[in-house]
Amino acid sequence: MYGLIAQVGKFAIIGIIYYFLYNFLKIMVVDLLMDKQHPGETGYCLLDEDGREYPLFPVNTVGRASDSDIVIEDPFLSSKHALITKRGRNMLIQDLNSTNGTFVNGKKIKKPFKLRENDEVVLGDRKFKFLRRENRGIKNGGHL
Amino acid sequence: MELKMEAIYNKTISATALIGFIAFFLLSLKTVPFSPAPLYGAIAFSTIMFAGYFLTNHILYGQDPALFILSSFISQLGLIMLYRINPAAFSKQINWYALGVLAYILSSAIIKYWVKVKINPYFFLAATLVLLAMPLLFGVERGGSRSWIQLANYSFQPSELAKITFVLFLAEKLRSGKIESILRLSGEILAVTILLMMARDLGGAMLFYMTALAIVFAATSRMDIAAAGLAAAGTAAVFGYYLFGHVRIRVEAWLNPWQDVPGRGYQIVQSLFAIAQGGFFGTGLGMGHPEYIPAVATDFIFSGFSEEFGFMGAAALIVVYFLLVYRGIKISLSAKESFLALAALGIATMFGLQIFTIIGGVIKLIPMTGVTLPFMSYGGSSMVMSFISLGILNGIRQSGRGEEDDG
Repeated sequence: MYGLIAQVGKFAIIGIIYYFLYNFLKIMVVDLLMDKQHPGETGYCLLDEDGREYPLFPVNTVGRASDSDIVIEDPFLSSKHALITKRGRNMLIQDLNSTNGTFVNGKKIKKPFKLRENDEVVLGDRKFKFLRRENRGIKNGGHL
Repeated sequence: MELKMEAIYNKTISATALIGFIAFFLLSLKTVPFSPAPLYGAIAFSTIMFAGYFLTNHILYGQDPALFILSSFISQLGLIMLYRINPAAFSKQINWYALGVLAYILSSAIIKYWVKVKINPYFFLAATLVLLAMPLLFGVERGGSRSWIQLANYSFQPSELAKITFVLFLAEKLRSGKIESILRLSGEILAVTILLMMARDLGGAMLFYMTALAIVFAATSRMDIAAAGLAAAGTAAVFGYYLFGHVRIRVEAWLNPWQDVPGRGYQIVQSLFAIAQGGFFGTGLGMGHPEYIPAVATDFIFSGFSEEFGFMGAAALIVVYFLLVYRGIKISLSAKESFLALAALGIATMFGLQIFTIIGGVIKLIPMTGVTLPFMSYGGSSMVMSFISLGILNGIRQSGRGEEDDG
């Protein structure tokens, strides 16, 4: 009698064990999809003076125009003000012939300029800080 | 997405509990007359498991729930087999499991904050050497190797703790990715390996040595050192075969166990018989004869498991172990700092090698060496220390996550 029950139990247990494995397979798939979900994010961001943060993608247009990747409502900005692109491991900023110009660390830029961490970017009269996303918490923890 | 993940994790942990209830109910039916005692075991186990699951989910922010679920799943299969073999061992082991869960939570929480502290690597090396020398000086011999320390009624295996300190030593020492003096480093690794050889713990010596090679290779990515290390290990193995009797016995029992079935080959032959008896789906819980296998509660628990759960169960168990190592490697890859990445890699490698050594040993793929199957074998130090290692992995994962999410 017990033999029969043990046979049934054996298949039930093995079935549940494989159900367990199937769920872990799903977890692995979700894991891999999550890694892919933000393929664009470069890990860099622009931090506004008032603490707002704009994550950077491989290509970003900055300006007043509502179809810009980073829309900034400021009368001193041109509608297409600047372009930030990724090249290799670096981020380059480029002025798009804006009226008031683009400044990095106080200097007006003419050619595409390689941004480094903690650089200060001025567009119109707005100041931004160029940061790696994981460091922003440490350096700007005060207002976050 | 997070919610969906949580739902899947909840499903897996419920499936684990369900397996426990079915298996222990079968064991209840098997005892004549019907006794509910095994079911109490299942209730005790599920209570500890669910308490641990909810605590880790609520206390530990940014943790990896998979580590706890996978380890509990394996522990439960081990406990089912232990109850089957020896109910008295079960009641001891479930206490060790509870202690292990507690240690897991504590070590995860401590490591999360402790990673910021920098400790001199030689502190870890000294700790490793002292731990390994202790059983040589005042240990007791068991199963041919002198690696236990007896304290009143409890015996403790210091090499289990030494695994962690050794990994931390190498990770701290190689955090810059450069080797200052290769002679000095190899001397330090050899000192540790020789201490283990002196205790006749060959499996342990192999584990420590190969883990060291893996960490050195990951830190420096130098192929020449890895090749030289492997060549040295091969030479040492050949010399060991000719110089030491106990090495030769192990190797001969592996190459041809059938020439001396009642003697040297007895363990392996019984293990092979049991695995063969299991077939594809196993004999069913309680229908096999694990009592024929020597040391079935500790070293040969995998053969006992394959007999009753068959190839399907054993293959699934190996996949679960693989998932555990995969999570460890994943944590190592996502770690922000080289010390943490190397420590996580070392722990994952140690787990992987240990599982390979013992499962390979019982199925006669490699010579049998007496290391424990983590989470499954009967033994307190192995259970608690495996949980602490996983806790360290979890802490490393949390410290990586914390910076991302807090900011």
